[in-house]
Amino acid sequence: MMTKPYLALGLAGPHLVELTTNHQLLERWDALPVAFSVLGIDRIDGSAPAPVTLSSSAVGATLASATKRGRFLIAASPQRDHPYNIARRVASLAHLSGGRSGLLIGVRDAYAPEGPKDAPAWGGAGLGGGAPLNAQTAYDTARAVRALEQSWPYDSIIGDRETGILVESNRILHVDIENSFSIAGPLNAPAPETGASVIAWYAETATDRPPTSDDTPIELILGAAGSVPVVALGKEPPVGQFAGIVLRAGIEQSVSELLDAAERWLADGFVPSALGGSLRATLNLSLPAPLPSTARAAFPVPQPHVSL
Amino acid sequence: MLGYLPAAWKTPHLKKDAFVDPEYWENLGKTAERGTLDAIFLADGPLLGDPAYDANPIRLEPTVNWGHVAAATSRVGLVATASSTFNDPFELAERFLSFDHQTGGRAAWNVVTTRGVPAARNFGMPDIPFRDDRYERANEFVDVVRALWASAATGRDVHFHGGFFDIDGRLRVPPSKQGHPVIFQAGGSPQGRELAGRAAEGVFAAELTKNQAIEHYRLVKGFARSNGRSPDDIKILPGLLLSLGSTEEEARRRSDEIHDAGPPSYSIGWLSQAIGFDASKLELDEPFPEEVLAPIGNAQSFLGSIGFRESIITQIRKTNPTVRSYLKQTRYTGSGHAGFVGTPEQLADHIEDWFHAGAIDGFNLQPDRLIDGLDVIVDELVPILRERGLYRHQYETETLREHFQAASPTPPF
Ligand SMILES: Cc1cc2nc3c(=O)[nH]c(=O)nc-3n(C[C@H](O)[C@H](O)[C@H](O)COP(=O)(O)O)c2cc1C
Repeated sequence: MMTKPYLALGLAGPHLVELTTNHQLLERWDALPVAFSVLGIDRIDGSAPAPVTLSSSAVGATLASATKRGRFLIAASPQRDHPYNIARRVASLAHLSGGRSGLLIGVRDAYAPEGPKDAPAWGGAGLGGGAPLNAQTAYDTARAVRALEQSWPYDSIIGDRETGILVESNRILHVDIENSFSIAGPLNAPAPETGASVIAWYAETATDRPPTSDDTPIELILGAAGSVPVVALGKEPPVGQFAGIVLRAGIEQSVSELLDAAERWLADGFVPSALGGSLRATLNLSLPAPLPSTARAAFPVPQPHVSL
Repeated sequence: MLGYLPAAWKTPHLKKDAFVDPEYWENLGKTAERGTLDAIFLADGPLLGDPAYDANPIRLEPTVNWGHVAAATSRVGLVATASSTFNDPFELAERFLSFDHQTGGRAAWNVVTTRGVPAARNFGMPDIPFRDDRYERANEFVDVVRALWASAATGRDVHFHGGFFDIDGRLRVPPSKQGHPVIFQAGGSPQGRELAGRAAEGVFAAELTKNQAIEHYRLVKGFARSNGRSPDDIKILPGLLLSLGSTEEEARRRSDEIHDAGPPSYSIGWLSQAIGFDASKLELDEPFPEEVLAPIGNAQSFLGSIGFRESIITQIRKTNPTVRSYLKQTRYTGSGHAGFVGTPEQLADHIEDWFHAGAIDGFNLQPDRLIDGLDVIVDELVPILRERGLYRHQYETETLREHFQAASPTPPF
């Protein structure tokens, strides 16, 4: 039996500006039963930079507040960014959007200048660190973001007014990551109530696929070599069985053209996704395993206290 | 950020996870806007202190947090702190200009250099760089960011080759309604003040006395002038920790209650950090020994703020209190930042006094507990200031930079 794919949207730089500066578009976007939208897919899919763009997380912050149902992936890459800083924005968006957000991690950032030759990923920050600009570095970034988002279990927030203990902070863990990055952790925000954010990868060909490991943080692969191919607006969906399809507008096409096409596709051949709810629940992804029990506690067991 | 006092979370008005609750933040923004405040401010650092008894170490990323609040408000300015030590200037410039674009020109970047080993360890460094190195980097960082913001308007590439950064490229983010974000600087060291005089449009200072504040006000405005800027282009806003009540008695009771609801290890830990001496080793019922008050041996490796430390030592020398009574007394007089405990009327007097003395352009008010403290500022303090002709009745300007430009000019000095 054929199961129908879900629909997702791919927005490039100019669409981010168009969508967030137009209330009617935001309303239409929010009412569309698609699985998610990628905010700035052109940042990481090998495209040339468009004339305009916005940081994905800034757009995500607007959408988290100005809309109630639409889900989205922000695009980020370690080219000029650090996993700790990415993890903070990812976790913050998850809290503020009620879990409607996730991360699409990219190898390169089309809009950013190259860093130094010996350490083009994060090396441009001039702190002495940095790594090669390759799939392994992006993968290590994703692993760090995942671990950091899990470093502080949400249910450790107890708010016990009797004992004066707000957080069972002994349950907060260092991540002690040593890969392309060295990160002690923990993150300075708790894990989202809806669980760690979904992390996606983009692979057009088999060689673009992510490295693998037992603790892979990658739960979704967009692109022809993944389970959710990307189709340019104006083209037909590919033949075959896919979990979903990302319908991607070109920079000369408008957001309303994209939304028009999405409405047509949803009426024919695609399964509508729930309106609202977390991205993880919508994609039917289980919660990732928690950090290993061997991880170092970041703080001592809190004690009830007396005043000065 | 639930309020500057650790026990702010204990009020029944708050859900246990209010600090990550979108509605909590939206309401703060809307309340501030009801009071036509110029801006709301978020401190920041890329590290976690122990949140066992206190929500203050918990931090959503400020550009995301304020970006969210921006969509629920339309006029209030949004100041987001970010480190010049633990960011890449290209990414930061792109993100802050995007944030400014999304807020309709209401954004500011508060430049801090960040202290603390735990922050360094999140970025693969054994320790933070010395203060001089952090400020040298901060200076160059700010130059790169400003050049990139300019590139967004001109469309021309930046070619920057400095001691820390090499950037060939430009931003493709559209300029915001105010062009680019306002820059703030926070920190009281000489290096911080120079950076402020050169590049900042707002300064968060830590001032305990009016005379100190006047001196600092003139110094920083003087730096601005010697950099070819108008003293009006930089607004000086010291922090002021607040407990307000309808009588002085009630305000003190409120302050005592929220203080007593928190653990004493906080004030002891805070003092240790601020003066560079382990205060838990001190006799609580003895005065401070001279070795604690003497000038700092190695200013480079001192982790605290030199500005904060100076203010505190001056204060202690003035009254020579016991350690316990200093810790209790700072409930009323402030701890690094000045404190204020009293009625809205008295606070209006205080603001008016410092303003007319040429000590401030405004205050960065920090309520003990925001959930009810901000309402008192908005519904009781602001109307008094309006009556006295000291504050706007409604927003007459749109962007944060315009809000600032609408303020009174710097008095002659
Ligand atoms: C009023 C005020 C607010 C500050 N806020 C922050 C902050 O949010 N984050 C931070 O890392 N440092 C903050 N700082 C610290 C300074 O940016 C600086 O890192 C530190 O004070 C050491 O440098 P200094 O000697 O110049 O003050 C603040 C300092 C002052 C005086």
